[in-house]
Amino acid sequence: MLFKKRLTFASLVLVVVITLLTGCIAPAEPTGNASQPSPQTTVPKYTNWDDVLSAAKGTTVNWFMWGGSDTINAHVDTAIGGPLKEQYGITLNRVPVENTADAVNKVLNEKAAGKAHGGSIDLIWINGENFRTLKEANLLYGPFTDLLPNRKFVNWDNPALAYDFGQKVDGYEAPWASFQWVMEYNTKNVQTPPKTFEALKTWIAQHPGRFTYPAPPNHVGSAFVRQLFYWAAGSPDIFLQEFDQAAYDKVAPQVWDYLNAIKPNLWHAGDTYPELAAMTDLIANGEIDFNMEYDANRASTYIKSGQYPDSMRTFVFDSGTLANVSYVGIPYNANNPAGALVLANLLASPDYQIALTDPETGLGWMVAIDPTRLSAEEQAQLAKTPRGVATLPSDVLSSHAIPEARASWVKPIDDGWTANVLKK
Amino acid sequence: MHKFFRWLLIVGLVLGVLLPILPQFVWSFAYNWFFPSLLPQKWGWRAWLYLISPTAKVGEAWLNSASLALAVVILSVLIGLPAARALSLHHFRGKRVLEWLIMAPMIVPGLVVVMGIHILFIRYGLADTFAGVVLIHLVPALPYFILVMSGVFANYDTALEETARTLGANEWRTFWYITLPAIFPGLLIAALFTFLVSWSQYITTVLIGGGRIVTLPMVLFPFISASNHPNAAAISVVFILPAIVIFIFTARSLHQEASAMNGLGRL
Amino acid sequence: MPNQLRLTLMLGPALAVILLLFVGGVVVGLGQSLDYMPVIGLRVPTLRHYLAVLTDEGFRSALLLTLYISLVSTGLAMVLAVAAALLLRQNFYGHRLVTLIFQIPLPVPHMVAAAGFVLLLTQSGLLARLIYSVGWLTQPAQFPVLVFDRWNVATILVYVWKETPFIGLVVLAVLRGVSQEYEEMARTLGANPWQRFRYILLPLLMPGLVSTSVIVFAYTFGSFEVPLLLGQRYPNTLPVMAYRAYIDPDLQQRPTAMAIGMIITTIVIALLAVYRRYAQRRQHDGLLFR
Repeated sequence: MLFKKRLTFASLVLVVVITLLTGCIAPAEPTGNASQPSPQTTVPKYTNWDDVLSAAKGTTVNWFMWGGSDTINAHVDTAIGGPLKEQYGITLNRVPVENTADAVNKVLNEKAAGKAHGGSIDLIWINGENFRTLKEANLLYGPFTDLLPNRKFVNWDNPALAYDFGQKVDGYEAPWASFQWVMEYNTKNVQTPPKTFEALKTWIAQHPGRFTYPAPPNHVGSAFVRQLFYWAAGSPDIFLQEFDQAAYDKVAPQVWDYLNAIKPNLWHAGDTYPELAAMTDLIANGEIDFNMEYDANRASTYIKSGQYPDSMRTFVFDSGTLANVSYVGIPYNANNPAGALVLANLLASPDYQIALTDPETGLGWMVAIDPTRLSAEEQAQLAKTPRGVATLPSDVLSSHAIPEARASWVKPIDDGWTANVLKK
Repeated sequence: MHKFFRWLLIVGLVLGVLLPILPQFVWSFAYNWFFPSLLPQKWGWRAWLYLISPTAKVGEAWLNSASLALAVVILSVLIGLPAARALSLHHFRGKRVLEWLIMAPMIVPGLVVVMGIHILFIRYGLADTFAGVVLIHLVPALPYFILVMSGVFANYDTALEETARTLGANEWRTFWYITLPAIFPGLLIAALFTFLVSWSQYITTVLIGGGRIVTLPMVLFPFISASNHPNAAAISVVFILPAIVIFIFTARSLHQEASAMNGLGRL
Repeated sequence: MPNQLRLTLMLGPALAVILLLFVGGVVVGLGQSLDYMPVIGLRVPTLRHYLAVLTDEGFRSALLLTLYISLVSTGLAMVLAVAAALLLRQNFYGHRLVTLIFQIPLPVPHMVAAAGFVLLLTQSGLLARLIYSVGWLTQPAQFPVLVFDRWNVATILVYVWKETPFIGLVVLAVLRGVSQEYEEMARTLGANPWQRFRYILLPLLMPGLVSTSVIVFAYTFGSFEVPLLLGQRYPNTLPVMAYRAYIDPDLQQRPTAMAIGMIITTIVIALLAVYRRYAQRRQHDGLLFR
């Protein structure tokens, strides 16, 4: 009796576990299982823009994006969602995530479950490492950019655009906006900001506890360390090639020496490094004197929203700062690629790009399209858009822009930092 | 002296509880509030205006959160009530293993479970559906419900049920007129815990809900990790308030129904 | 046997939920940690991710830190919960309101609590501002480092704040059920308040206290949100390590995340098994009445 019960229970557990193993872990072979959609169904491909438009009409696009800025959220809903509805009859469903990785992981899980179509994400705001992950795992839809009518405004011959962190875009993502890394500082505490890495080192030594940077692999902290590599190497050249261990070994010690030398004089005596978001509070409350960010207009946006005091300004290093582009990509199994394509096309339209640059009505971001391809009228309009109060003039930014390193450099540098600076 | 000491303790308790959250209510009306100011330098309605704008999705998220939690509670009652009764009033072989299994989701980190389950859910067409999110919330919620209810049943006397049955009442009438009134206060507490577990789920909803189901934590957490205090505070207020209101209503049972809270002490 | 059928019907649905959703999820996760994912062509299980994690120089410090945080916060919450329950069991003016306030942390999510403690405890937080206003400090750096610090003060405080009422309510429920007679008897026999607590109340409280504390311990041992938000970059806890690996764009890191998750699970279950054994032995000795 006792034995029988145990046996019943044990076999029940066994049956369930075996069911799971065969039903869920086993490959998604067409077994005729009714609950599985037939394998013939695929994600639609398009060759003709009119087909895209008619397929997209009346649909909903699920756009997964970082949701931590009310300014960006509102802009996306009105300046993108509005025209999308009015002009194309498409509903935008902006899905806020805390971290772009949440969305990337979702695509990965769908892949692991063998869900090759009908995926829940139609569009993701991505660049850099996340793009590389998705592209190398063949998890992106496309190439699709040649299909977009507004491709004529995009200069794909520009390497800064055609390579996303050195990873060839190959038509797998469409540009949204350009960004350039800037330093933010409070003019109340700092009159003349240090504009070279040598001057910065001196400044930190003279002002212990007033400087810090977000820990890599955070994209901004990682960029700070990469720029030190450029500085130590004397030029960006080697980083625009594929990763080279010998070149890395030659430059790296100098960078670790620099970072370890400033470490005792960092915020909290270098005992820890803050998250990028936490640095907003630190500088606003006067705990530190510098912040850094890829959005050159963010200081202006934050002054407007009250997150920064009015005395905040920005600067770039004399040797230049990293510039890159934010894109949107479509997962390989998107349920509504047509709607996503229309949205991507809208982002590259002159009207939208001009609106985007306005710090009052747009986001104050920089255009991703080539301004010289616009009509004279549009160019005049673009030149007229006001600048944010803390934003540098566009000629200062563009004359100080330096290209991103190849993506293959990013991880070795981040890992090197963890081993040689963080854990030291 | 003794009395003074007691009041000191009471003040300490109240301050200790309120200091970390009351300033957040102030923050929701702040425009900016920098060191060293004890009160905001500039007040503003910005966060609340954002909250009521369609962009914030707070209304939709609120409805989703509430209906999810409600569905989880109902399912927990249907599934958990008989299970809790069986576990505390009956003796059978393998009971210990069963107890372990049922309580395991309280112990095993959620992150471990959700990634695997996500793949299962996609396979069975449950991902991106309301039902799927209800089920995934049920995993951490059900153990709390069963634990509390098994405490209630442990102190439950079945003699009255026997009497009712000998007097000719059928199973349903016995349950409705005898069992339910007896366990009701405890049931309320179990439901409350279940509700709260579902109400605060984040990563499970993001992964399983796939963005089709936007809940309050999903609109709140991005602002917390972005250090946008006014928005985070305003959304926190509408997030916490309903829970506190329910608490006030159930506070009575919480105090009187000792056996229900004892259930949590039965692990 | 109808009784058996009845039992099966009563327990079946709950068991199905747990087996299908929970055990199923863990099994798939285990497969991933072993690199066993046939869907994407991985068919040969390997222990290399476990080896990599266990030999990582950061693993030991992360494990110790995780144990430290969960033990200290659980211990503090236990002590405070008993103290609060003893206080709240007395009758005083406003007693019901204070009891209600005591329960407020229960429905507050950990993330919200963590955000509150950041605003309170950083070097430019509300406490620092209070001290500034009385003139004891002139700039934030003079305030002690309580957040993002080596000792994880803020993380522990968040857990204590959140979990004390949880344990406290259980303890309070037990206390309410304790007949006054025991204590009266002890009083007439000349026991002082400490002795009355130590030899009468504490043994009665123990089962509920310990078992809720086990839930709290397991939770604090396995969750990443609070130490991620309030802890140091390095070292940080095992769950934070798992989470960082999970969100890493590098695909290779996902099995690592699952392996760390499995290690956490194993440790928690092992500790729990030890506890159950201990609790049963005590029970047989007649020291705990359950």
